[in-house]
Amino acid sequence: MISGLVQILLWQGLGELISHEWLKTIPGPVIGLVLLLVFLIWRDRVPDAMGLVADGLSQHLGLLFVPAATGVILFLPQLREHALAVFTALVVSVVATVAVTVIVLRLLSGNTPHE
Amino acid sequence: MNKPLQIHEIWVYLSGSPLLALILTLSAYQIGFTIYQKSNRLPIANPVAIAVILVASALEIIDMPYSKYFQGAQFVHFLLGTATVALAIPIYRGIRGLKGRMIPLVIALVCGAMTSIFSAVSVARYMGASNDIVGALIAKSVTAPIAMGVAERIHTSPTLTAVFAVITGIFGAVFARYVFDILGMKVWWQRGFAIGLAAHGIGTSRAFSVHPEAGTYASLAMGLHGILGAVVIPFIASYIPY
Repeated sequence: MISGLVQILLWQGLGELISHEWLKTIPGPVIGLVLLLVFLIWRDRVPDAMGLVADGLSQHLGLLFVPAATGVILFLPQLREHALAVFTALVVSVVATVAVTVIVLRLLSGNTPHE
Repeated sequence: MNKPLQIHEIWVYLSGSPLLALILTLSAYQIGFTIYQKSNRLPIANPVAIAVILVASALEIIDMPYSKYFQGAQFVHFLLGTATVALAIPIYRGIRGLKGRMIPLVIALVCGAMTSIFSAVSVARYMGASNDIVGALIAKSVTAPIAMGVAERIHTSPTLTAVFAVITGIFGAVFARYVFDILGMKVWWQRGFAIGLAAHGIGTSRAFSVHPEAGTYASLAMGLHGILGAVVIPFIASYIPY
């Protein structure tokens, strides 16, 4: 498991380095993600230790953004003032996104609805 | 002579170390996760939302400023980057399971991602939301760890972006099935991909609980949307006034 974590940290480090030096608009971890993905496709398998770490992290991904999300207390007055706009924008947007995506997939793949 | 430690001395020691913030964060999440599981994984009982409410209330009660809490909790926060890199594994597994559907998926991904940004920004703008809010809506359908990195790059609040991402995830997980039913969409992989794209991690765990194929496609959509968002949002954001 440790070896999986070490490998992921190394890819993250490489991504941070590339982001810092050449690709400032893209966050380092995303570059690390893409590089690791290319590596996995090239190797055509996921090392066991890495799979374990990834499953552990993704199962409780939510825990990791609790500290940042708690910062919402600093924005409460602003959110209260614009509560209706925020609520409407989020609901309309998520419904529209789901609808557009599924309709495009349906049109392009030409499946019968009962596949 | 050893004087017995007074309770307030212990308190002063504890609140000065990262330990307190870490205990708060982890126990709040643990409570949230337990409630989530007890509720049969109802999207509305989201563990992150519960944890945030608990931590925020605790900070209010013990009168600890947010900045001080974050100093301690940053050890948890740091792992976001590592978790982002690790998203490569579910994306890889999703790509392996594809059956020549890559082109429709990529086109649907681009259409969905654009819909997500422009619908949210224009509705919020029309209803008179402040610039901070409009800016933070841009990346809200991208999975939170990536959305926060993107938010920093486009000079908007990572915190608001994360909060909007969590709420979007909950709404997506709650409403998506009604959208599918109204539109008569019954193919699992299409439903899964749409919910993962719109509602990232929260939608994905919802999809896994409904159907395994939907779950695999949802996590693929979440990962691909994360990559696409990180690459194109900085360019799109420069055309959106906020």
